[in-house]
Amino acid sequence: MPPRQPAPSTSKPRASAKADATTPAKAPTKAALARAAKASAAAAAHAAADVAAREYTSGDDPRITLERQIGHLYEPIPPYPMRTERESEFYTLGDGEMFLNVGPHHPATHGVLRLVLKLSGEQVVDVDPVLGYLHRGVEKICENSDYYHVIDQVDPLEYISSLFQEWSAVLSFEKLLDVQVPRRAEYIRVLSAELLRIASHTLYMGFLALDLGGLTPILYGFIERDEIVEMLAALTGARMLFNYYRIGGVNGDLNHEFMSRLGDWMTRAAKQTDANIGLLNENEIFVRRTRGVGVMSREMALRYGVTGGDLRAAGVPFDVRRAHPYSVYPELDFNVPTRDEGDALARYLIRVDEIRESIKIIDQCLHNMPDGPIMARVPRLIRPRPGRAWGAVEGPRGLMGVYAISDGSDQPFRFRIHDPSFVNLQTLQAMLPGNLLADTMAIVASLDPVMGGVDK
Amino acid sequence: MTARAGIESAISLPTRIWTRLTVRQRLGLIFAPGAVFGGLITVIALALFGPAIVDFLSVNNGIPRFFAAVTAILMMTVPTAFVIIYLELKVIARMNLRVGPNRVGPWGSAMSVIHGFKVLAKEDFAPTGADVTVFTLAPVVTYMASIMTLLVIPFAPGLVGQDLNIGLLYFFAMGGLTVVGLLMAGWSSFNKYSLLGGLRSAAQMISYEIPLTLSVVGVIILAKTMSLNGIVNAQSGSLFDWFVFKQPLAALIFFIAATAEANRTPFDLTEADSEIVAGFATEYSGMRFGFFFFAEYVNVFIMSALIATTFFGGWNAPFNWPWTVTLNAFQPFSYGLIGWTAIVITVAFVGTEALAVLVRLVGGKTWDMTSTFVMGMAINVLLVIGLLGFLGFIAFDVVRGLTWFMLKTYGFVLVFVWMRATLPRVRVDQLMGFAWKWLLPAALLNLFVTATAVVLTNSR
Amino acid sequence: MDKTLKPRLEARVGEHLLGPIYQRQDETEIRVAPGNVPAVLTMLHDAVDLRFEILADLCGVDTGTTLQVVYHLWSPMTSDWLRVIAVGISRDDPRAPSATFLWTGAEWLEREAYDMFGIIFEGNRDLRRIFMPPDYTSFPLRKDFLLPDDASRSTGAGIRHVEIGHTPANLADDKSAGIRRAPVS
Repeated sequence: MPPRQPAPSTSKPRASAKADATTPAKAPTKAALARAAKASAAAAAHAAADVAAREYTSGDDPRITLERQIGHLYEPIPPYPMRTERESEFYTLGDGEMFLNVGPHHPATHGVLRLVLKLSGEQVVDVDPVLGYLHRGVEKICENSDYYHVIDQVDPLEYISSLFQEWSAVLSFEKLLDVQVPRRAEYIRVLSAELLRIASHTLYMGFLALDLGGLTPILYGFIERDEIVEMLAALTGARMLFNYYRIGGVNGDLNHEFMSRLGDWMTRAAKQTDANIGLLNENEIFVRRTRGVGVMSREMALRYGVTGGDLRAAGVPFDVRRAHPYSVYPELDFNVPTRDEGDALARYLIRVDEIRESIKIIDQCLHNMPDGPIMARVPRLIRPRPGRAWGAVEGPRGLMGVYAISDGSDQPFRFRIHDPSFVNLQTLQAMLPGNLLADTMAIVASLDPVMGGVDK
Repeated sequence: MTARAGIESAISLPTRIWTRLTVRQRLGLIFAPGAVFGGLITVIALALFGPAIVDFLSVNNGIPRFFAAVTAILMMTVPTAFVIIYLELKVIARMNLRVGPNRVGPWGSAMSVIHGFKVLAKEDFAPTGADVTVFTLAPVVTYMASIMTLLVIPFAPGLVGQDLNIGLLYFFAMGGLTVVGLLMAGWSSFNKYSLLGGLRSAAQMISYEIPLTLSVVGVIILAKTMSLNGIVNAQSGSLFDWFVFKQPLAALIFFIAATAEANRTPFDLTEADSEIVAGFATEYSGMRFGFFFFAEYVNVFIMSALIATTFFGGWNAPFNWPWTVTLNAFQPFSYGLIGWTAIVITVAFVGTEALAVLVRLVGGKTWDMTSTFVMGMAINVLLVIGLLGFLGFIAFDVVRGLTWFMLKTYGFVLVFVWMRATLPRVRVDQLMGFAWKWLLPAALLNLFVTATAVVLTNSR
Repeated sequence: MDKTLKPRLEARVGEHLLGPIYQRQDETEIRVAPGNVPAVLTMLHDAVDLRFEILADLCGVDTGTTLQVVYHLWSPMTSDWLRVIAVGISRDDPRAPSATFLWTGAEWLEREAYDMFGIIFEGNRDLRRIFMPPDYTSFPLRKDFLLPDDASRSTGAGIRHVEIGHTPANLADDKSAGIRRAPVS
């Protein structure tokens, strides 16, 4: 048998690791640094930590050495050079502070939101939300698909309330094409969208309670939502990603099953809603957990460009359905509820009021439903004249807009999707500092983000 | 030297022998020496010290009794946890308008047993960077602290592990050890969520120990004893002798503080799943997690049992039991061995036959012969068990006491489960504020009023 | 279409406008140079007869030759959406002033525009990539970033997509690479 090789001397790998670690720092240009960062930043970080561990080995407590060796794996500090001053300021720890990496896999972050929290004890000092874990590049895909295909591309963005995203897309396309949508189609759109708004808000209430530790309301919310999506499945053929609105109308007319389910549901909708709301409104712990938490003042909400229920809870009566009416909303009688407190409880109560208003709207839609066609005359191959159009609708979470540019071809030249959750999430940076860790979840849940829409 | 030979020579002789054994032989190889040596040592010890041991035990018969009690309690905890877990799964499901477990066993009742097997079968590992010794010991400490408190709880007259005269003090001392286990788990896991959970549990449980302990001082004054058996005896008599009617405020404080002590909703901050993932148990898996899990549910049982014992009369019936029958016929040895055998055979066979005929008459020819007999036997067994239980209930204090005690205890377990389905979680500052600003003054007030009343009534 | 908005806009921000005010359906569109954006936005936000206080959207646009930044604004004083387009941003050195001094919420929208188009917003405190990974070098929504496997365009042929690194060094080489259509205004 061959003799065993002598053990390698420890100095060799240490030297090479040091060389690796220092190479990118010596790189002359910014461009080279950026390219090198991808390849060697992570390796350099590991190598540097390795070297540090070995140098401290002798005479030290082995446990401390172990922490030195693997400590960098447990800190969410990015392994690349800091890009902005804000980033380097955030990733510098003060006295007695620590990072806590919440998400993207965490029970209460509504999908894949990642919050890097800087904590002092249980108190949040600062927060750095990290997005993009669900980014699919839908805008680019839409620019490469024709106008009809855009509708089913945008469906999975706001998966809780996909009809609104479709609506904003077809609204902008109809503006590009100068299409007049038949009134019956408009009424059907309003009807289905308001149903989905109720489903979304019911789910919101359940998730808020779930993040506060209440198990039951979410299941009651899902029961309510299930009835609504079953109803819409009878109308559109799908439970979640409907692909129902068309440029110039809707895909199918009201049918018997939908109407019978809807009528069945409407007879007890208001009562059932009150019962579900009573689960939380009359709960002392819930009210104390949400009152005065995550206060968003009127000025702050406007400065952050917040829209939807979060803005109305701060006292600004901005609802696209009234502020910039589209479809047949001018003909319908409903209120825009507002509140002045701007805290999590107000955001919750706004949703409660909106459910009641939506039931009113559905009732009016059923009474005023006109006869007539459900589709305008639209060509099979859509080639709008070159131009620009901005279509915005009021989704359950706020203004959902689409900015479409046509260059005369059969595909949109630019297709911009504005998602309300994306903008609303920014307020976390202002609202979280000073709050406790437990309130973080209450605030995130009260903003009601849908990460599919945020990450596009 | 061929390659084959090289490998052969590289394997040592014991390994070679071992690899050629079957599984049964291997097991024999492992266990046979133990059995032989154990038997030898036992025989030698008995031969040398046998009479001395027998003499010692016959004089101190508390010692075998103690060992038997401890073993019984240890054996009891896991089924108790299974029952409570099943209750929680099923009751919360019904409250959520769900069906709940319905696949394993009748109405899914074996679901928690399956959970137990699942936990046993899972990989059990410690994360890199964890302090493995402390990490491994933490669940043991928590579980031990939980089950050691069961020792002093009187289940029925005479059915108590050890009737300590400082039973209540012992209970709180042992119950307070739980926090050590949780803190160990939180610290050793090398995870920030665990750390937060561990520190939260320390703060919470130490804060709530104080109102919990203070609220029962009034009871101790009234019962004039700290023995739990004595406290139960002090509540015998009518329904209104229960301490909940003499100490309603204390009962309320005790219930709230017990909820916090058992880490149950709305005070389950230590394992708040929406905030700190699973708190101290985040990094645990396998049976180590299982110990935490069992400890939690055993804790629920213990706290319910303590509430029932201290404030709700323990094993006392809520009303005076009218039939104080002593069935001489039911005495075990009154018929002798032959008589009992005859009775058992008669009941078993005749009952089964009779019921099978009945099943045949009612069910007609839809069932074949085997099914008819099995059905008759099942009904017979159920009837006999029910009859024996009823006879025991009216004849023996122990059975009666145990029944009432378990009814009360599981009533409170259901209340805990109900709260879990209904209430959200409080925030950590609200939790501490509630303990120090409301519960502690209320407990002190209760103590003051009770002590004053006792002094006044005694001096008169 | 709000006819009264046009004279108001001309009176307030007329000297900054590039070209006429364009109105169609319920939208009013003005075009300004990137350098004038802060002045124009401040005037639109603060003037008592304009009060465009809600920033509905901020996005980048690649016209094929130059880049644009598009702001959509809402005001209670008019029934129109106002679209402000900052035109003529160079593709080689895309720079535009930030709107965060007026709307803090523009921060992430500008980060998104930077991520997708590489437009550097001067004054944004935290301009880093928001969706794409930090070591990513392309700007995906630019027109020279191609998706050849798109079903409606080509057979795919095993190519997933073509990324072009837009580090300042190789920008000059890319210009002719992939403009897929005639530029729009």
